Amino acid sequence: MVNTFQTRDKELEKGLKERTGLVFFPAFDWAISPTHPEREERLLYTRDQIFEEGIMDLPQIRQYQPRLAQAKDIARVHFCVPHIESQATLAHRIAAGGALVLADALMKGEIKNGFALVRPPGHHAMRVVHGNRGFCNINNEPVMVEYLRQRYGLRRIAIIDTDVHHGDGTQDIYWHDPDVLFISFHQDGRTLYPGSGFGNEIGGPLAQGTTLNVPLPPGTTDEGILFVVDNLVLPVLEEFQPELVVNSAGQDNHYSDPLANMSFSARGYAKLNEKLAPDLAVLEGGYSIEAALPYVNMGIIMALAGLDYSLLQEPDYKPEYSREAPGRLEKIRVMVEGLREVFSHREKLVEEARRRLGPLAQRRRQIYYDTDQIREEQLETLRVCEDCPGYLTIKSIARGPGGRNRVYCVSIPIQACPRCQREGREKYQGAIRKSSRAYDHIYLQDRVADEYGQYNHSTGDISLG
Amino acid sequence: MLVGIDVGGTFTDGVLYGNGRILESVKTPTEDDNLQETIITVLDDLLRGRKGEDIRRLVLSTTLVTNLLAAGQGDEVALILIPGPGLNLRQLQFFPQAHIIKGATDFHGRITEALDGEEVRELGQKIVAAGIEKVAVVGKFSQRNQRQEGQVEEILLARHPHLKVVKGFGVAGELNFPRRAVTTYYTAMTQDAWGEFAASIKRALVQRGITSPIDILKADGGTMPLEASLNSPCETIFSGPAASVMGALALTMDEQTAVVVDMGGTTTDLALILQGKPLHASRGAMLGGYYSHVRSLALRSLPLGGDSAVRWTGEEISLGPDRLGPAACFGGPVATPTDAVNFLAGGHLGPLSLSQEALARVAHPAGLKTETLAQDLVGQVIEVLKDSIKEMFKSWEEEPAYRIWEIVNKQRVKAQRLVGIGAAAQAFVPILAKEVGCPAFVDHYSPVANALGAAVSRPTLSLQVHADTRQGSYYLSLDGIVGRCKGDLQLADVKDLARKHLRQLAAQRGIGQYADRSEVFLAEQFNMVRGWSTTGKLFDVGIKIAPGVIDDYKGV
Ligand SMILES: [Zn+2]
Ligand SMILES: [Zn+2]
Repeated sequence: MVNTFQTRDKELEKGLKERTGLVFFPAFDWAISPTHPEREERLLYTRDQIFEEGIMDLPQIRQYQPRLAQAKDIARVHFCVPHIESQATLAHRIAAGGALVLADALMKGEIKNGFALVRPPGHHAMRVVHGNRGFCNINNEPVMVEYLRQRYGLRRIAIIDTDVHHGDGTQDIYWHDPDVLFISFHQDGRTLYPGSGFGNEIGGPLAQGTTLNVPLPPGTTDEGILFVVDNLVLPVLEEFQPELVVNSAGQDNHYSDPLANMSFSARGYAKLNEKLAPDLAVLEGGYSIEAALPYVNMGIIMALAGLDYSLLQEPDYKPEYSREAPGRLEKIRVMVEGLREVFSHREKLVEEARRRLGPLAQRRRQIYYDTDQIREEQLETLRVCEDCPGYLTIKSIARGPGGRNRVYCVSIPIQACPRCQREGREKYQGAIRKSSRAYDHIYLQDRVADEYGQYNHSTGDISLG
Repeated sequence: MLVGIDVGGTFTDGVLYGNGRILESVKTPTEDDNLQETIITVLDDLLRGRKGEDIRRLVLSTTLVTNLLAAGQGDEVALILIPGPGLNLRQLQFFPQAHIIKGATDFHGRITEALDGEEVRELGQKIVAAGIEKVAVVGKFSQRNQRQEGQVEEILLARHPHLKVVKGFGVAGELNFPRRAVTTYYTAMTQDAWGEFAASIKRALVQRGITSPIDILKADGGTMPLEASLNSPCETIFSGPAASVMGALALTMDEQTAVVVDMGGTTTDLALILQGKPLHASRGAMLGGYYSHVRSLALRSLPLGGDSAVRWTGEEISLGPDRLGPAACFGGPVATPTDAVNFLAGGHLGPLSLSQEALARVAHPAGLKTETLAQDLVGQVIEVLKDSIKEMFKSWEEEPAYRIWEIVNKQRVKAQRLVGIGAAAQAFVPILAKEVGCPAFVDHYSPVANALGAAVSRPTLSLQVHADTRQGSYYLSLDGIVGRCKGDLQLADVKDLARKHLRQLAAQRGIGQYADRSEVFLAEQFNMVRGWSTTGKLFDVGIKIAPGVIDDYKGV
């Protein structure tokens, strides 16, 4: 064979794998409404800052263009009512697709980690989606996680939600999944939207301890948040041994955020990401678009790329913003200890639940969609199984300005045993057969077969993808 | 008559164009340490027996600045940076010798940290003590507020009026501070040397009775008048490949999507023409190993050409990257890829026996049949070129986009044609085109397409306007121009503003007749919302005269 320089090039290429992948999709032509915090301007100054810094020119960074997430990518996670197109607009599909592009790049070994700097955000979007909640319709991280599981066979994944708001959507999606560790630290739900995320929310009966919530007192600083990272997140990750760590990276913990009351700094965010060392980070909220986002986003990129961030600082930063009040730190310490206790006993908790529960476990909930003013009532039934985390059926009725929607959903998890898969599919078929007037739409989510079905009662259409 | 001269690293090409055809063409070895001499020699050869006053336009593409940068020549420059908070330039080894001073400006152009006058004064003394006379001063976001760069200049000149200070905002006003620093630094470094060169060329032409406009080809495939080039010498780098691409355009003269394959002795340059428009690099040209704000064509350079030496090393057969002479079939000492093509085609380029013998000298010790070696060689060259073409299209398709419509409307493109330029094009481009699956275009003028491209390229000019109605100000990316604007400004007004400034700047540069060819390539507007109400608007509008051929040129 003739040896050209080409083989030498390929060797050179190997050395470049230590790069950080970046998708920057500011959606400059998308807004919830003209003056809404989720508007065109949100990442404008971030663009100015990162472009002016020239950070994309560095050999440590590789920029990627997002793609459109497919309907199937979304169906793996959500039951969209009445259909995917109504909830996942082009902007949502590109934001989720941005995360998918980085997931592929990571798995192909092109990058060592990645940051999807995309909007719109997603972590308030739950499994059933009747509309927009907390600025979210489609949950980007679960779409990415389920894609990684199907496409690359990953199983155990950790999602750390660092947004100031409780990641109630992501929590809902992984509530019953013992293989996805979900940790959210956020401003106490008694003082902030969505009003959930308390210490006692630790996951469904068969997945207890793999959901952990740290409600932080308003005013918590760098010191307090990094304390949670050092003393809860990192030790728990060490024990859980995930194949992949995802940062659901909100930026509204910042001291200047107009929608929350915390005191986190840009350098704090950088340090957080350096410690957490996520494989993939996806932007969530953050609405201090001038005073925080340009600097926080720089900080996250710098930390992921292993660049020195000691010279990064907001123009109005004061050292006292980062210093924790002793009383607050003590409160946080107590909480962290309790949660570590829960985590270390998680297997025992699940064992006890299996013994205690009958064949079915139910939870009844009311969910409010603030943006779209929809009220949803949900009855979720878990099939308690000896051999797997069990399949779910969900009855959901939503009432809002657009009228009433009643749906029935069957969700078969990726770890489902053959019996649960069979039973779940029978439930779906049975519901269609009965075709009673009780439901407008009937859904199937079979993650084992990677098949997703929907039945429309009024038209009689059945689709399977 | 038009004259185009393209000074290349090895050869300098010149053409004389008139009456719709190439009247004369010249090729001569380049004398690196005396480019003026080379240029004048080529010019005299072209003009033999003709009158200098009949020349209506003369365009030069030269390697002078490229050579200055490569040799680290030019004036010594003190680089002063005002980065404010952000990346640690020291850790990044970004100009390790740069002086980093206090001061900061943010994205709205607000000064967030004051300069330290004493620090600047001390620095001035140090610079003068080191015998340096050129200073480049560049601040982050200086294009949105020129104050701190200006203050540094004032402080320095107050004590040391002999210093020459070049400010970043006047050199490059687009976002990207490191590229601005690079461009400003190398501008300061090469300005005087370029000025001398320009003056001596001008003198020589006047002596020959040539009074026509003299234009300089830029890396973006357009030209600028010699006078305008004095302020921006860095724009002249990489004009050689630009000349070839413009030559390809001049030979084809249509709106097809094409790959330009400029295949010389030891290198091959690839470029894309998308629907008749040469594709620009998204990052700007590399100066001294750094990205800059110099717009250049998107090029891919491969260390592989028709004369790359083929050797048996004792373990393997190596190809290039050097050249020992022409192909064996043209009297060269060793086998080359050109010989492989010639051998396989039965001697259509030169004597078959010469190629066969040279190839056999490598094939035998390697234990290969001559024919196998020839096939391997051609296969390798074609494969490398084909892969590179694929990658070029792919990286164009993967250019980041920031809006929904850009992503949804992004189209896949396919080459409609391969245009072969350069000495080795005739041998390889037809084979490559078959592999890529499109027709090949190799004109008999292809060997001088670069000089033709220089002769007929039209001027280009590109600028961006950033307007902020809350501040009531707008900023141009060119020449550091700023102005006031009204609070009720609309996008259409900003486009008009951009057109107005383009017209003025084009007129100042002596290229006013092309101002009406401008096109808006960027038009963005944002509402600035504070609380729940709109407090102002931000606009970014970009306008350019894109590369093309001059009006008088209708093809050959
Ligand atoms: Zn949030
Ligand atoms: Zn089961």
